[in-house]
Amino acid sequence: MNKVTSPLILWIEEQLYFLGGITLLIRDCLREGFRKPFYWNLLVEQIYQIGVRSFPLVFVTSTTIGMVMALQFGFGLEKFGGKPYVPRLVASTIFREIGPMFTSLMLAARVGAGMASEIGSMVVTQQIDAIRALGTSPIKKIVLPRILACLIILPLLVAMANVLGNAGGWLIGVSELGLDPQFYYRRILDTANIKDYLSGFAKTFFFALFISVPSCYFGLTVKNGTQEVGMATRKAVVTSSLLILLGDFFLAKLFWIIEKWL
Amino acid sequence: MAVIEVQNFRKSFGTKLVHEDVSFYVKKGECLGLVGGSGAGKSVILRSLIGLEKPDSGSIHINDEEITRYTEANWRHLRKKVAYAFQGGALFDSMTVFQNLSYPLKEHTQLSQIEISKKIQAQLADFGLSGIERLYPNELSGGMQKRVGLARAMMLEPEIILYDEPTAGLDPYNTKKIQELILNLKTKGVTSILVTHDMPTAFAVCDKFAFLKDKVIKEQGTIEQLKNKNDGLIHQFIEGNIL
Repeated sequence: MNKVTSPLILWIEEQLYFLGGITLLIRDCLREGFRKPFYWNLLVEQIYQIGVRSFPLVFVTSTTIGMVMALQFGFGLEKFGGKPYVPRLVASTIFREIGPMFTSLMLAARVGAGMASEIGSMVVTQQIDAIRALGTSPIKKIVLPRILACLIILPLLVAMANVLGNAGGWLIGVSELGLDPQFYYRRILDTANIKDYLSGFAKTFFFALFISVPSCYFGLTVKNGTQEVGMATRKAVVTSSLLILLGDFFLAKLFWIIEKWL
Repeated sequence: MAVIEVQNFRKSFGTKLVHEDVSFYVKKGECLGLVGGSGAGKSVILRSLIGLEKPDSGSIHINDEEITRYTEANWRHLRKKVAYAFQGGALFDSMTVFQNLSYPLKEHTQLSQIEISKKIQAQLADFGLSGIERLYPNELSGGMQKRVGLARAMMLEPEIILYDEPTAGLDPYNTKKIQELILNLKTKGVTSILVTHDMPTAFAVCDKFAFLKDKVIKEQGTIEQLKNKNDGLIHQFIEGNIL
């Protein structure tokens, strides 16, 4: 009986540790985030690392996704004479779902993995201990700049991904589907209502936390050597991605309810 | 007056008990040599003295203040006065030597960039490391990293220094240099604990010893007391008869 139950118990135990650890990390961040000193230079550095250096990846993924969506919708709807609906379909899907979600997933893979492995390596080489031993706080020096940078940069990257995705769709709509460039452009503008945009935009703040908090947590909880750094990196990417995907569903539902009220 | 006083210190990791009942004290300006076999938990004691580990029970007093219930904010204040020289240096690998050494000064002092630079040059010269300011830790040998780590720990001129194997892996010349530095700091009234397996260094700089074995301090005393005790545990440890 024990052999059957113990993996389940271990799994539950691990999840409880994760939840407890995340709660404590958030508490520490809130406690220390409002105390001096503030390391603005570290925040700027992280904005560069997370934001500027992620731009090529976001550029490629969002453009190609827009192109693929236009192509698939175009050929799929062609037999029903539905090609003129392509701009509307592509735009609203990108604004509401694909833009925020794919950008966040890309960032989870690139930045989440980077954060967990970097912090994990710092733990293994005692650099985190050194930060503490030198009378400074790893939360302020390491964790907060990364969380804040994600909160600042993800909405901006998503805004860019929205534009690029639609540009990709426009390119295919015009070149492959034979749609009029002005017509496609006007349809995007007609479709792009503020509700669609805000619904996707609001999610990005949650997704930024889903990426940065677990990644920092898994990095900080590395204990024994480089093997655990690899494990922490995997856990960070898997957890962030799952939180984004699951969170997307619940947030989409929540925003629909809010929109109904409004 | 004891600057550091550890009483009934108990520490375990999970189910593994590392220390059962450890007690010792160090007076102002003294250097205590904490010796024992590998894995005896010497570094755990040092880490607990600076709040990197939390004891399960017992008390630790530094300058008559009980520190085991300190919050992280309290610790940050105390760590300006108590320095920990890590075994491997624990240098920030994304920073140059200069940036590593300037880190504590920028965080805790109001010194100007010129003053910081002068202080770092002087410190590097003391450690025989002049000219490496712009190098990154991965461009240094293990011994140099260790010495830069020591130099960084001493930047704020702390009242207490905890040395974790400061001479391991160093050549005789640099070992002697480190011994001289520790002795020099002692003359300035710095209190220290030295964890080491390098017994010549321990005898050169320590005023007294504590021998850690089987989760407790088995033997402690001054060099004179231990030298006169030929069947003592420390004596047997040095001779290689026990672990």
